[in-house]
Amino acid sequence: MNDTISLLLPIILPIVMGTVLFFMKPMKSRRPVLVYTGISLVATAVLIIPACLTVEKPIVLFYLTKALPVMLKLDGLGRFFLVMVSVVWLLAGFFSFTYMKHEKNEKRYFAFYLITYGVLVGLGCSGNLVTMYAFFEMMTIASFPLVVHNQSREAIMAGLKYLFYSFFGAYMALFGLFFLCRYTNTITFTPGGTLNMELVAGHEGLILLVAGLMILGFSVKAGMFPLHAWLPTAHPVAPAPASAALSGIIVKAGVLAILRVVFYLVGPDFLRGSWVQYMLLTLSLVTVFMGSMLAYREKVLKKRLAYSTVSQLSYILFGIALLNPIGLTGAFLHMAAHAFIKCALFLCAGAIIFRTGITNVDGLTGIGKKMPLTIWCFTIVSLGLIGIPPTGGFVSKWYLATGALDSGTYVFQYLGPIILLVSALLTAGYLLPVTIKGFFPGEDFDYVSLKKCDADAWMAVPLVVLSVLSVLIGMFPGGLVDYLTQIVGTLF
Amino acid sequence: MNEIMLLFVVIIPFIGGILIPLIPWKNRKIMCIFIEAVVLVNSVLVWLLLTNRPQESMTLLKFTGNLSVTLHVDGLASVFAGLVASLWPLATLYSFEYMKHEENEKPFFMFYTMTFGVTLGIALSANILSMYFFYELLTLVTTPLVVHTLTREAILAARTYLYYSLGGAAFAFIGMIFIIVYGRSTDFVYGGVLSVAEYPGNVNLLLLIYVLAFMGFGVKAAVCPFNSWLPKAGVAPTPVTALLHAVAVVKSGAFAIMRLTYYSFGTEFLRGTWAQYTVMTITIFTIVYGCSMAVKERHLKRRLAYSTISNLSYILFGVTIMTPLGLVGALAHMICHAVMKICSFFCAGAVMYKTGRSYVYELDGFGRKMPKTFGIFTLSAFALMGVPGLCGFISKFSLANAAVQSGNVLAYVGIAALLISAILTAIYMLTIVMRAFFPRQDFDYETIADVEDPNWMMLVPLSLFCVGMLVIGLHPQPLLTLFETIANGLF
Repeated sequence: MNDTISLLLPIILPIVMGTVLFFMKPMKSRRPVLVYTGISLVATAVLIIPACLTVEKPIVLFYLTKALPVMLKLDGLGRFFLVMVSVVWLLAGFFSFTYMKHEKNEKRYFAFYLITYGVLVGLGCSGNLVTMYAFFEMMTIASFPLVVHNQSREAIMAGLKYLFYSFFGAYMALFGLFFLCRYTNTITFTPGGTLNMELVAGHEGLILLVAGLMILGFSVKAGMFPLHAWLPTAHPVAPAPASAALSGIIVKAGVLAILRVVFYLVGPDFLRGSWVQYMLLTLSLVTVFMGSMLAYREKVLKKRLAYSTVSQLSYILFGIALLNPIGLTGAFLHMAAHAFIKCALFLCAGAIIFRTGITNVDGLTGIGKKMPLTIWCFTIVSLGLIGIPPTGGFVSKWYLATGALDSGTYVFQYLGPIILLVSALLTAGYLLPVTIKGFFPGEDFDYVSLKKCDADAWMAVPLVVLSVLSVLIGMFPGGLVDYLTQIVGTLF
Repeated sequence: MNEIMLLFVVIIPFIGGILIPLIPWKNRKIMCIFIEAVVLVNSVLVWLLLTNRPQESMTLLKFTGNLSVTLHVDGLASVFAGLVASLWPLATLYSFEYMKHEENEKPFFMFYTMTFGVTLGIALSANILSMYFFYELLTLVTTPLVVHTLTREAILAARTYLYYSLGGAAFAFIGMIFIIVYGRSTDFVYGGVLSVAEYPGNVNLLLLIYVLAFMGFGVKAAVCPFNSWLPKAGVAPTPVTALLHAVAVVKSGAFAIMRLTYYSFGTEFLRGTWAQYTVMTITIFTIVYGCSMAVKERHLKRRLAYSTISNLSYILFGVTIMTPLGLVGALAHMICHAVMKICSFFCAGAVMYKTGRSYVYELDGFGRKMPKTFGIFTLSAFALMGVPGLCGFISKFSLANAAVQSGNVLAYVGIAALLISAILTAIYMLTIVMRAFFPRQDFDYETIADVEDPNWMMLVPLSLFCVGMLVIGLHPQPLLTLFETIANGLF
């Protein structure tokens, strides 16, 4: 009973708080809304700690039908996801306290921000496929108002695109759910997979097709080619902290779902060497390259970052597709690193927009003189994303490349690392110009009219914390790697 | 319960209906109370009947030999009768408010109430002749409801409706004759009554007749290509489109097909034949076709009507899987779709009643002015899409589960069709929700200052449907267990 409460609380609390906030009467000052949101965010994050530490057993809340229990269970992967979500959600939330000053409808924004938090916690705690699917759908719905927040025509079209791509993906996954319910022993997530081999015998082709569809379906959220087009449209139109949360976390929900399907239901052994593995390898590598290329030629900063998300997420998917322990460890590491880094990058972009209104990369000449702290943070996390030691990106890419070389996937074991390197070069190409132009505007730069306008505390602290985290992961990866190796060990 | 009650539940709405124009009402309120009382009493009687079932059947008319109009309660009958009896009082309550600003209320309520009796007659029919009898009667009593507004459009729609329905009934008639001639009896017996073994040479003929009869009854269930009457009939007042064209009439068609497939021809005989593949292909096509047309349509009620076409074929798809589980899925979707669709139709009706607007593009910003109505509409949209936790997911899961278990490859294609339809549903429902809640940036709320939520007579039914969607969505097991018992022929 205690376990039930300690797991349910962090899911229900933000959802209830958010709903209450949504229906509250409009207030004159924005202060009460901020205090309310702040308390709710912190309370949820605090409540997650005992849940992560104490709960071990799966909890069945109720049965939808006999075959479909709604089940919560916290395992290693779930805890990892929850911690990642909480860090990003808290920091991006604090950042919005300042940032949302110049947007309308703050109350709605914070309400749905809280609700989405609860839904994400639920997603991390989901113990079986149907529960995860339910939270996955809810996540799309709850995060949608964040995307369309400013209600410009562009935002609404982007929001619709987001919705329909997401539902399309979710329904592809649902197709698989129907079949997995029949061909597995249980739909509870079990490390190593739960396929019922007696039933599967003779239907291997069908199960592979189903697994392939599920992976493709969930990969829509992770922005994998060919269903990535919504991401660069939808992420940049949201308010910057929401883009940060979307690009940092919501896309990872797609990755989490793919992990659950591949390693906890179908099983890596069933997929190894099949066309599904090669499809995922091919598509992820195509996306890595394509995303970087598109980011390189994009001029609008937030769009550039969104394309970069497309590319980086496929690093993670590539790590999953390798289906070996080292590659998977790399995928996990890159999940964490990318969550912090991409969140920080979007927040930097947000700070720049908030202070100067500049959205285009070409307008950023000399920005480092105006906002030194912001651009310093931008530079540090950029180095992390490129993968320069001692930052987080280096460690994860190292594991990914080693994993690829070990994987025995013929051409991909060489092609993979090469593409990763090329993409890293492109990453440098699309991120560093901001730093270079920002700090070295050239001789003819007008220093006289320069005014300093750096981020205030609500903005600066999250930026600094995220930058420090991204470096710490790279400098002291030992503990994290041990923890992840432990998770990975149960899966193979 | 005595079997004479079977007669009462069919007759009471008739008598009540005929009394409405005959009594000189002093004021409208008393008339409304009278109508609601008749409907409510009848619903209570139906529920009493279903809970204490009479074992005997009740013969109303006897023609020759084994041909008679007979009423009897069995499992399938109780599902449909229970559904109708639960929805009718709520829909009647809603229509009091809605009809306030329409003319010719009395004939409207007369036929509206009589339809209740006829629908119960279809549900409680014990043999194919009785069902056919009530089926024809249904067409006759509902035509005045379609023609109600007496506009040119309405008259044309009523004409189309009549032609289609009578034409369909003619095909159904052929099916009936063959059952009478080739069957062991005309009664509905789970597993079918055909004695095929006695006519080995006629298998293909009988299959052809099955397909014809399927299409015949399918006219009411708006199977493609016989669907065009349904969107046209949307000119009728909303209580009619909501209750009759989303539940009573169209589900009578689906119900008749269930009877035909599981209780007359028998699934043993049909499963795996070309007839099964033919009808399943038709339903799969209709599922996708209906949704695609709904996306294209800009008139709110017609869009929902197209959505009904698609969803009815979900039910028929379940039927054509021709396994007990398929029937479970079909029944589940029959109930779930009834609740979801009547809910969304009533929301559309509330909008039309309060503002007179009926096109999707006129609904900008309504979410803020009619928060309750559009909140409920959003919930019904999610339910129709099949978001877990709401009833649409349960029925979709039951259908897909049946399809997976059947091992029939065409049924797998059907699952894909269900999901394509789900994404199209998301498109046609959520674009409405979007407009209502997120109008464009510079939208001027002054232009819709007069828009407001309707009163309790409309909101109470709507909220009850919401509760229904949630309860069925979260705790469907008792219902599914009941359906499983029925589908195994045990109830």
